[in-house]
Parts: sequence; structure tokens; C-alpha cells
Amino acid sequence: MQIEISVIIYMLAVFGFVAWNIKKGSFVLDPSKLVPVMIFIAVLAVAILASMGIDLGIATTTIMKIGAAGILFSGTLPMVAAGIGFLRFGDEYGINIFYVRNHIGGIVDCVSSLVMIFVGLLIVRLDLAAVGFFFFMLLPFTSNALANSYYYSYQRRIKQ
Amino acid sequence: MIDLSFLNSFADSAFFWSALIFSVACAFTGLAAVRLSLKGEAVTSLMAISTFTTVAGVSLFLISLPELFNVGFARDTAIALLVVGSIGTILFARLFRAGK
Repeated sequence: MQIEISVIIYMLAVFGFVAWNIKKGSFVLDPSKLVPVMIFIAVLAVAILASMGIDLGIATTTIMKIGAAGILFSGTLPMVAAGIGFLRFGDEYGINIFYVRNHIGGIVDCVSSLVMIFVGLLIVRLDLAAVGFFFFMLLPFTSNALANSYYYSYQRRIKQ
Repeated sequence: MIDLSFLNSFADSAFFWSALIFSVACAFTGLAAVRLSLKGEAVTSLMAISTFTTVAGVSLFLISLPELFNVGFARDTAIALLVVGSIGTILFARLFRAGK
């Protein structure tokens, strides 16, 4: 029971931080500072565990798995927001609503690929990270090709 | 002295529940994408199906992890969905652009 309560507290803390970022409209901590701070906290936690006599490998694996859980929790909120956006923005907003939907699809792709990369690195599953990296490299081309094809098909419809 | 068994259990439980909640969020987004693909025009449907293959691939990759459900064959399906889905989207977008 104590573990489940701890997981819920951890989940709410991550959700709160992500929601704070979304509400602010930009990163609360700049990403160039956030990533080193997270790495510093992880190294500090591993060092504290190792100084208490716990094996260094076990301490590192445990802390990295907790970090992977945080990454997955932080990806949940943008994913749900993207689903709500897909449902919310209907055809009544005009023809340019496609670009909004394409942007939402880009958010889904970006969150998915970043979650795959970072979770794969943190739980040491390099196949997961490699596929995520390949997908991360490919997704701008996908979004650009979709927007391009919509633009030219719309121009063709106007001419007809 | 920190109890290592508590920390290990917390890490396992947190990873399991986070992956499960993320998969549920992926399923919700996938259903929204399927709804969009059924009511939109051709390029919108293509975009929505591309999103659906993405979220399906990520969910399948997550359930193939040994820390979760250890479904081995889901990994190959996920790789095929993610790679072929993206390349197929680009190819069909080029076809739609050319008006074929």
C-alpha cells in the first residue's frame, strides 16, 4: 500500500510540473538547465545510495528506472491533450484546420519518439532508443510532406 | 539505512504503472485519430492514420518490454509499424501532391 501511495505522489508531482509548463506556455526551467539538473539529481541519488553501502550497479539501475517512469508520466499529459485536440477541432473552423491537426499530429509523433529515446536509454534497451531516434529523424519529413500535399491539392481544387 | 527492497519495488511499480497509463493515453489518442480519419478528406485521413500507426507502434513496443508484459513478437510489429508507416505516409503524400 505504501508503494502505491508513493507511485501516486510521484505521478501527481510529474503531472503537476508538466501542467505548470503547459499553463506557463514555455518551460519553467529552461531545457538547457532542466536536463543538467535532472542528471545532477540522478547522480546525487546514486551517490547517496552507494555511500550507504548499496551496490553501485543496483543503485544506478533503480534510479534510472524511476527516471524512465517519470519520462513516461510526463508524456501522458501531452498525449491526452493531443487526443482532446483531435476531437475538439472539427471542420467548422474552416479549411486551414488541417494545419492545426497536422501540428497536433506532430506533437504526438514528437512525444512518442522522445519517450522511446529516453526510456530506451534509461532502461538500457538500445533497440527502443534506436527505433525512436530513427523515427525522430523521419517525422519532420512526414509532417512536411502532409502539409505540402494538402496545400497543392487545395490549390488544384481552387483551379478546378 | 534506506531499504533497498522498498526502492526496487517502488521503481518496478512506478515503471509498470507509468507505462500502463501512457499506453492508455496512446489508446485514447489513437481512437481520436481513427475518428478523425473517418470524417476527414483524403490528406486528413492520411495524417490521422499516420498518427494512429505511431501510437499503436509505441504501445506495442512498450508491451514488448520484459519489465512489463514481455510479449516478444510485439517488438517486430512495432518496428514495422513505425518505420513502414512513416515511409508510406511520405510516399502517399507525394502521390496526393501530384494528384494521382
